[in-house]
Amino acid sequence: MSVESRQGRWADRMQGRWVWAGFALPGILWLIFLFIVPFYVVLSIAGGELNAIFQSPEPIWNPLQWTGANFVAVFHDLVGQTAFVGPIFLRTVVYVAVASVLSLLIAYPAAYFVARYAGRRKVLFLVLLIAPFWVSYMMRMLAWIGLLQTSGYINRALLDLGLISQPVNWLGGKPMTIILGLVYGYIPYLILVLYAGLDRIDQRLLEAGRDLGLNRARTFWRVTLPLSRQAILTGMLITALPMVGDYFTNQMLSGAPSTAMIGNVINSQLNTASQQSKGAALSVLLLVVLLVPMLYYVVQTQRASREAY
Amino acid sequence: MAVAADVAEPMSASGDVPGPAVRSRRLRPWKNPWRRPWILEGFTWLYLVWSILPIVVAVIFSFNAGKSQSVWQGFSTRWYWGNPLTSVFENPQLRQSIIQTFRLSVLTTIIAVPLGVAFAIGINRWRTRTATTFNFVVVFSYVIPELIFAVAMFFLFTQLFTSIHLGTAAEVLGLATWNFSWPAIIVLARLVSIGPSYEEAAADLGASRLQTIFRVLLPLLMPAVFASAVLVFASVVDDFVVVDLLSSTANTQPMSVLIYSSTRGGNSGPALNALATIMLVFSFVVAIFGLVAYRWMTRGERGSSRQEALTTITGM
Amino acid sequence: MVFHPREGRSGDGSTSVSRRAFLTGAAATGLAATLAACGSSSTKGAGGTTTTTQPLALPRPNDPVTWPLYQSNPAIADGLQPEKNATLKLFNWVAYINPKVLKDFGKKYNCKVELTTFNTMDEALAKLRSGQFEFDVFVPTVDVIGQLVASKMISPLNHSYIPNITQAWSAFQNPFYDQSWQYTVPYTIFTTGIAWRKDHVTEDPYASANPWAFPWNAKYKGKIALLDDAREGLGIGMLKNGITDLNTSDPAQLQTATNSLLELVKLVNLHIDNNDYSSIPSGQTWIHQAWSGDMAAAQNYMPKGTSVDVIGYWFPPSGIGPVGNDTMTILANGKNPVLAHLFLNYLNDLNIALENISFNGYMQPLTGVTPEVLVQQGILPPSLTSTVVLESMFATGLRELELSPALGAQYQQAWLRVSSGV
Repeated sequence: MSVESRQGRWADRMQGRWVWAGFALPGILWLIFLFIVPFYVVLSIAGGELNAIFQSPEPIWNPLQWTGANFVAVFHDLVGQTAFVGPIFLRTVVYVAVASVLSLLIAYPAAYFVARYAGRRKVLFLVLLIAPFWVSYMMRMLAWIGLLQTSGYINRALLDLGLISQPVNWLGGKPMTIILGLVYGYIPYLILVLYAGLDRIDQRLLEAGRDLGLNRARTFWRVTLPLSRQAILTGMLITALPMVGDYFTNQMLSGAPSTAMIGNVINSQLNTASQQSKGAALSVLLLVVLLVPMLYYVVQTQRASREAY
Repeated sequence: MAVAADVAEPMSASGDVPGPAVRSRRLRPWKNPWRRPWILEGFTWLYLVWSILPIVVAVIFSFNAGKSQSVWQGFSTRWYWGNPLTSVFENPQLRQSIIQTFRLSVLTTIIAVPLGVAFAIGINRWRTRTATTFNFVVVFSYVIPELIFAVAMFFLFTQLFTSIHLGTAAEVLGLATWNFSWPAIIVLARLVSIGPSYEEAAADLGASRLQTIFRVLLPLLMPAVFASAVLVFASVVDDFVVVDLLSSTANTQPMSVLIYSSTRGGNSGPALNALATIMLVFSFVVAIFGLVAYRWMTRGERGSSRQEALTTITGM
Repeated sequence: MVFHPREGRSGDGSTSVSRRAFLTGAAATGLAATLAACGSSSTKGAGGTTTTTQPLALPRPNDPVTWPLYQSNPAIADGLQPEKNATLKLFNWVAYINPKVLKDFGKKYNCKVELTTFNTMDEALAKLRSGQFEFDVFVPTVDVIGQLVASKMISPLNHSYIPNITQAWSAFQNPFYDQSWQYTVPYTIFTTGIAWRKDHVTEDPYASANPWAFPWNAKYKGKIALLDDAREGLGIGMLKNGITDLNTSDPAQLQTATNSLLELVKLVNLHIDNNDYSSIPSGQTWIHQAWSGDMAAAQNYMPKGTSVDVIGYWFPPSGIGPVGNDTMTILANGKNPVLAHLFLNYLNDLNIALENISFNGYMQPLTGVTPEVLVQQGILPPSLTSTVVLESMFATGLRELELSPALGAQYQQAWLRVSSGV
């Protein structure tokens, strides 16, 4: 080819890079100023001081001058004599773990059925599965508040069936209500991820298993489950991580401090001027704790998309 | 013939169970690997009922004639219109929340979708470490718990960018950032599946870079862009945490926050069910519209089907 | 108490870093250096426009305070016309003002009235401090007025717009917490006692040895609630233990109160909310620490068929219990100061007050508001005359007042421990 055309193509390629960079630039700037900088602000507040009149946060912008006062205060809230956040954190872990496992136990069979056995009715099932995804979380909680009230249908049904003798105060601070509320609220995400994952499993792999003499249970255990492991992990992360920051489920379905989660503590701290700095510090700590699962998710999805490249 | 009769499944005239020789060759019903999975199907239906029925009940109660959310006292539309203090469409505070939700959804979609699409296109082509880092950041923003993100936003607007007061502007900025990952991730996935072949073909045919982008790439991306727009819209209608922390006066409270604070404040009632039903209708209308549009846009493509449309619309 | 020189805080609540200074930093280290430079540059400007360097005055009934007036935060001039096409923005507790009163005001002065509500005083202050909102009228409790004045969040009042003050009790025309009523007009008066459902709870606080310990009863687990207010909640903890100084700085007393409350949380699966006005009538709670006005208005929330007589409200007959009043103030960054003044005046008119009381139940300290009038007009049910607040009660009653910032933070911390539960 001629020198001009070679040069032309090189110039073209060089120009190309900057065009694409130009496309990405607005998004990158947006992320810097509205995603990365806010976390720097949180760190500055967590490492900052308190205003003397209001005890409200005074950020310290220079990282070299960050103090540990707020973190020490949060640490004392977590462990030690006057600790009250530590037990709440443990309670959150328990609620989230139970709710996640419960969600998995419910979502997996349903997703499995729709992915593998729904046949001609697959679209119908899919629509029904997806529908709650489009119903707002508030609506889903409201629905249960209506049913769980003292005069609501749940109590009435249980009374009619003779299973209880007095109406149960479901909304009066029961851990089970909160856990089931969390399950109900977040399960649509899990079920969709599981469905997508199970749907992708090649039917021929299962048939191969059958051909090799595996019965149904064995096929599931040794073929389907391992192949859906990725979807399970990703789905659990997508379900469990938001649950950790949840505070409104507890407020709406209980309102009692005995079922408070760590999200409630952070939210209360933000609403109290003298506690905002500690709220920032606690958020930072929570982020650090959740960093590993979050990074795992990010790395996994990057890997998956790279494989698809 | 006798031999054939032996091999076939003879039924005695009265329809009795066949003889031992044939029974051993017939599979036990429960050992048939191709049988219908009754238990699994039953379980799935049970799940669907548990999942959908409470919502249906809540919608029905929005038409309750009485003040209760749990005791049916007759049918009435009083919570929707007719009463200036309790009806959603006439009470200024309630009506304002509907407008605010709609306003937030539209503004956020207008901002987040073009931003995310451009970002995805850029990241996909500009293969440097900066690009991959920011891709990383986007996925990170997808997976972070909303509370931590909202806390960061709250402090951002109250300590640093204080000229942007808490209120609609802050809410839109926060929501756009929170939902930025939807268009970015979905369009990126679509770009990956499209591959470079179409653009290379266009370039071979002499199209300039800009022509390629606007006449080849964007039309191909339209379904994904659309799906992500639908997702962002619905996600903002539903959003609670970000707007709760970034809202200020009453007229910047969208429906989700109003429902929450009314329930917490002991002010619950079927009016909230009415509000929630309106949210539901919003989301469903948008979803159905998105679905139909997506299917129309991807008609004729390999692998397009109702299933495909449904899963893309939900971001899976 | 010495203020740190970094606290360059101007009246409008903005922080020391200007946006432009932030944007000039590019790289991260450059960013930090620039921000640090901004921080220190504000120190130089700290001397001029900021808060006083004296500690906050703490008003007490026997130690009244006249708040300083600041040059930079003057009252509005006399004789101005109300703003046109305006929206008066009111920041008030939930369910604390009659919507009809707001509508009538709007009609009278040809403006719109917008109400934003808050659930707790802490939440309200946090919002005001960090949101740069443009509310016109704010309804604070007495114990936070010092903070509001010192940070110049509220403006001094121009008395010429508020002639109705003469209808108020004389004590409130020169209250100890705001001598010469420079910044506040009184709004409501109330006591904090214990409300209970006579049809579900067999015990009677009037017959108990320690009525303040009434909520500490495991028999009604799940049906007991305290108010979501740090001072009120800690207050009942103190009173249960016989501590009558509700502003105590004795850490041992605070600890005793906190421990009692923590014990209560576990004992009865305690609820904490400000919904006494609706949850006692609806039967959701059976014993609720309550404000007198909420119970007086209970008849508006009773379900059909249940008489308001099932509700009881206990306040110590000796008068040694929390009494208080709320005030109305005008926020400095509001856009409608004239209308705001007129609004404050409007609510101190007897007829408007009676209309308001018929909605929220809270008495107002006007000479025309007497128990007889309230019962006669059907506003107060005869069975709940224990909710009445008399002028004499302010002599014997206990007040929850302003605390020094450090002590206030300790109270808030203690309350956070209780309300987040263990």
